Amino acid sequence: MKNYIIRRVLMLVPILLGISIAIFLIMQLIPGDVVSGILGIEETPELRAMWEKKLGIDRPLVTQYLSWIGGVVRGDFGESFRTGAKVFPEILWRFSISAELAILACVVAWLIAFPLGILSALKRNSVIDRNVRVLALLGVSVPGFAFATLLILFMALVFGYYPPIKYVSLLENPLKNLEIMIFPAIVLGSSMAGSVMRMTRSSLLEVLRQDFIKAVRATGAPERVTIMRHAFRNASIPIVTLVGMQIGILMGGTVVIEQIFSIPGLGQYLLTGIFQRDFPIVQGTVLFMAVIYVLINLLVDILYTYIDPRITYS
Amino acid sequence: MTSKEHIIGRRLSRGDGLLKQLWQDPLGRAGFLGIALIILLAVFAPLIARYDVAQINARSRLAAPSITYWFGTDNFGRDIFSRIIYGARVSLIVGLVSVGIAAGIGYLFGLAAGYFEGRVESAIMMLMDIIFAFPSILLALLIVAVLGTSVVNTMIAIGIVNIPVFARTVRASVKAVKGTDYIANARSVGLKNGAILLRHITPNALAPFTVQATLALSGAILTEATMSFLGLGIQPPSPSWGSMLSEARTYMEIAPWMVVFPALFIILTILSFNILGDALRDALDPKLKL
Amino acid sequence: MKKTLSVLLALLMMLSLTALAQEPMVLKYGTDAEPIGFDPHTVPALASTRIMLQMYETLVDMDEDMNVIPRLAESWEQPDDLTYIFHLREGVKFHSGREMKAEDVKYSFERILSPDLGALGNSASYAGYIKEIEVVDEYTVKFVLEQINAPFLSALSSTYLAIVDKEAVEKNGGNLLQASGGTGPFTLGEWVPDNSVTVNRFADYWQEGVQFERIEFYVITDPSARMSALRTGEVDLIVGDSAMLTLAENANNVEIYKVRSRNYTTLCLNLNKEEFKDVRVRQAISLALNRQEIIDLAFNGEAEISGFAPASMGHWAVDVLNHPLYQQDIEKAKELMKEAGYENGFTVTCTVGLLDNIRNSGTVIQQQLAAIGITVEVQNKENAQYVDDWKAHNFELMVCQNGAGTDPNRAVAFFFSTTGSANIAEYSNPRVDELCELAAGTSNVDKRREYYHEAINIILDECPNVTFASPYDYIYASTSLKGYAPNATNMVDFRAAYIEK
Repeated sequence: MKNYIIRRVLMLVPILLGISIAIFLIMQLIPGDVVSGILGIEETPELRAMWEKKLGIDRPLVTQYLSWIGGVVRGDFGESFRTGAKVFPEILWRFSISAELAILACVVAWLIAFPLGILSALKRNSVIDRNVRVLALLGVSVPGFAFATLLILFMALVFGYYPPIKYVSLLENPLKNLEIMIFPAIVLGSSMAGSVMRMTRSSLLEVLRQDFIKAVRATGAPERVTIMRHAFRNASIPIVTLVGMQIGILMGGTVVIEQIFSIPGLGQYLLTGIFQRDFPIVQGTVLFMAVIYVLINLLVDILYTYIDPRITYS
Repeated sequence: MTSKEHIIGRRLSRGDGLLKQLWQDPLGRAGFLGIALIILLAVFAPLIARYDVAQINARSRLAAPSITYWFGTDNFGRDIFSRIIYGARVSLIVGLVSVGIAAGIGYLFGLAAGYFEGRVESAIMMLMDIIFAFPSILLALLIVAVLGTSVVNTMIAIGIVNIPVFARTVRASVKAVKGTDYIANARSVGLKNGAILLRHITPNALAPFTVQATLALSGAILTEATMSFLGLGIQPPSPSWGSMLSEARTYMEIAPWMVVFPALFIILTILSFNILGDALRDALDPKLKL
Repeated sequence: MKKTLSVLLALLMMLSLTALAQEPMVLKYGTDAEPIGFDPHTVPALASTRIMLQMYETLVDMDEDMNVIPRLAESWEQPDDLTYIFHLREGVKFHSGREMKAEDVKYSFERILSPDLGALGNSASYAGYIKEIEVVDEYTVKFVLEQINAPFLSALSSTYLAIVDKEAVEKNGGNLLQASGGTGPFTLGEWVPDNSVTVNRFADYWQEGVQFERIEFYVITDPSARMSALRTGEVDLIVGDSAMLTLAENANNVEIYKVRSRNYTTLCLNLNKEEFKDVRVRQAISLALNRQEIIDLAFNGEAEISGFAPASMGHWAVDVLNHPLYQQDIEKAKELMKEAGYENGFTVTCTVGLLDNIRNSGTVIQQQLAAIGITVEVQNKENAQYVDDWKAHNFELMVCQNGAGTDPNRAVAFFFSTTGSANIAEYSNPRVDELCELAAGTSNVDKRREYYHEAINIILDECPNVTFASPYDYIYASTSLKGYAPNATNMVDFRAAYIEK
């Protein structure tokens, strides 16, 4: 097991190296540059030269890459071209927000999906099953930005309510923080519920058909207890997989919702970086997201071995 | 796992049986009908549409739905009904082509990775991991930013983003089939790699692959809508549902029909694909995990 | 028991009432984009300028009618055409508490002109012609220019030439991106990226009467969400959007501020394209446009027909409403096309991007030009790409929104003289060049106006660009906001504003 983890972590190195080179090159390929954005209509050749020198983008590409990646190795992701703010601390801060949103969205998704999934599995092929499945899929089928704007409008018109706009962290004021985060979490969670529900349903179906459930039933234990205790535990593997995948997706998939609800998440940071050609932000954020993605997947794989002792890695 | 995949493969190769089974499932039937409706709209758009989709008209600006304009008009005075009908073309083409790109490349990658193993496999899967590690919407935006905004580039971007899912699905099926005796048998009777891949592995990978494709189609239409929201999707005056919806947001209150109809059609289409995908999975194997 | 309870309750109520009364007055401002740092010398973004204008001040200010008025300089004189002497206001303090003196003015301009900062004001349009800055005494500073530059005085009102605190610059590693080193009524408080920026009242501000304890700027990019935030009272004022006008009119707690802007939207022609070398084709395009229809469809009707010297420029403006090329005349346009040898028309691409009204204008223009046989392919570019194409003059047709600026030198020479750095059409007319030079070389207002009007009329006739609209700017605010009077020069002056309870 230990060897396995070490090997997986080592595998990170070439992947991250690949990603860092890929994103560096992509940023070079994108037409338009940060100096155009900074100077706008005031640009003159002299001013441009000053800025290129100041930002260090007049150096050869290889030098630029090496000095950046050298900094990254030492934990220094550089500074934003535009705001001069250090990139790494901002990534961490924003990550905490995106992660909170992701977790809340997962909770919302589970709250919707688990009961529906169980219901649907128990009543397989009935009218209830079909309605529940369509309902769960409906959430996936609405573009998030449309749902979000409609939600805001609905609350404003019907209740005269607007979620608090000043962001406060969870530690500062947990209640207020939740009030801010709950609506984006509902929008995101409902879009995830469909696949979680599907997975819950199919896992349960599989388990219910297995012999030991029949055996347990034969002992006369109440049905509900049987399902909860045995089926659920066995069904949790694919659910863990899915959760792992969705947290990865949520890292950046939240961007539109963050924008509409004015939440300073990681996705928005990256998006601004892309639009403004702020290389340090884009490169740093992409690299960071990749690390998180790989680590979460590793964690998921390790979790498997705890849930299901039959799974081993060599 | 192994024998199951095998059975699915065979079941799917007898396509008529599966279709029949799907049709008997009310959900499958609903999905089929929904998709058929959209396809009909797209194919016969010139016959159904009532006005020129690009014809602007200051006098009929923001008109509510009426007998003249079934779905009302937008901020340019264009007929929303006609634009929705033509939008079906754009959305379907974007969906099909981008998923085609993703499925084609993903299939080859997955096949190669699963069959050859070793270096080839780790190289391919590493590439897939690199693509997968980018948040998909942002990667698609990056690609469009590099290539420039156009319908073709949007499809390429959405296509690239979806490659890893297909590659992984196919690789998993290939590996599952590979372990079985009958591949060894095929080898022993002297079949070449290519022949084995084509004749034995492909049919077995098809089941999860088809399901994945249905899901990716709905995902692609949704991604296009989101890209339009962020300003880098299908560009006006092309009537894509996504761009119609995102342009309509500012008029949501004064001209709700501008939002309602594109939204309705996006939901109808995506829901149809999703329902069909769901029914398909259930028909193939209720335990199939995707 | 009951008694004590009621007494307690009464006490509580009183407490909460006093708490209410003492609650500081706060302005909540819903803005449309995330600011990009607050160094007035290096940041041009409007989203930042709104906030920087609370923190920084300039030597002079400009009133609604584009007259230069005192701000940090109480008065000034011009012994000769090249020399400007400013007498500074006494007792003005920087946010650090240190008094602002002539040395600081000198430092600020040296910073702008330094060869490695890349300051926006370091160009001919702003501080570029300064030869010498001399501290005469503590409150007097003298500028000597290299050549006569009439727009200099009005340029001094730009935030690019704000007076900054040397110590603040040095303390923050050479930039003020995340610091406040000005003399303005507010100082920089908390900045929560992609969410909000707070500026707090500066207690030692030289002017009395500032009422807001702080201003909180909230980034709400979605216009519909912004409107919802205003209507629910979550913010007091928002950056408007003409599409929201109907809603603002219908809401009973919303006050609408409509401001004539100095911006204009125009169709730029690249004169390197063969067809556009012929002035008749360019005139035909101008004749083919129905400007009111563009305004109705692309601006929700909220703009006025305008040339490139919009009406907001006061006496510098040239009225275009009766100009023959501004009257739609398809027949005449077709005739001109025929004379030029393009009876069957031609195909051209049109680059759009950046703003909704630019994109929408492209859609309408595409249709209107079809009437004279010109097939337009609209290409919507992503922002950075659009700006790049603009700079590289990489386009055939391009819809642009330009700012006519605070001086006609900007509106005319910057965009249309042969060497003008924003002359993206690559237009060149020796008479226009001559007039621009003459106008910049005199400070006689009447003479300058005469020169500029002649130049403007030549350009209007030759159509290197076809200008159609000057959009209105909208601010929607709560009806309880009083004392706020935005104008084209400054939409964010809250020094006299307050909220009535």
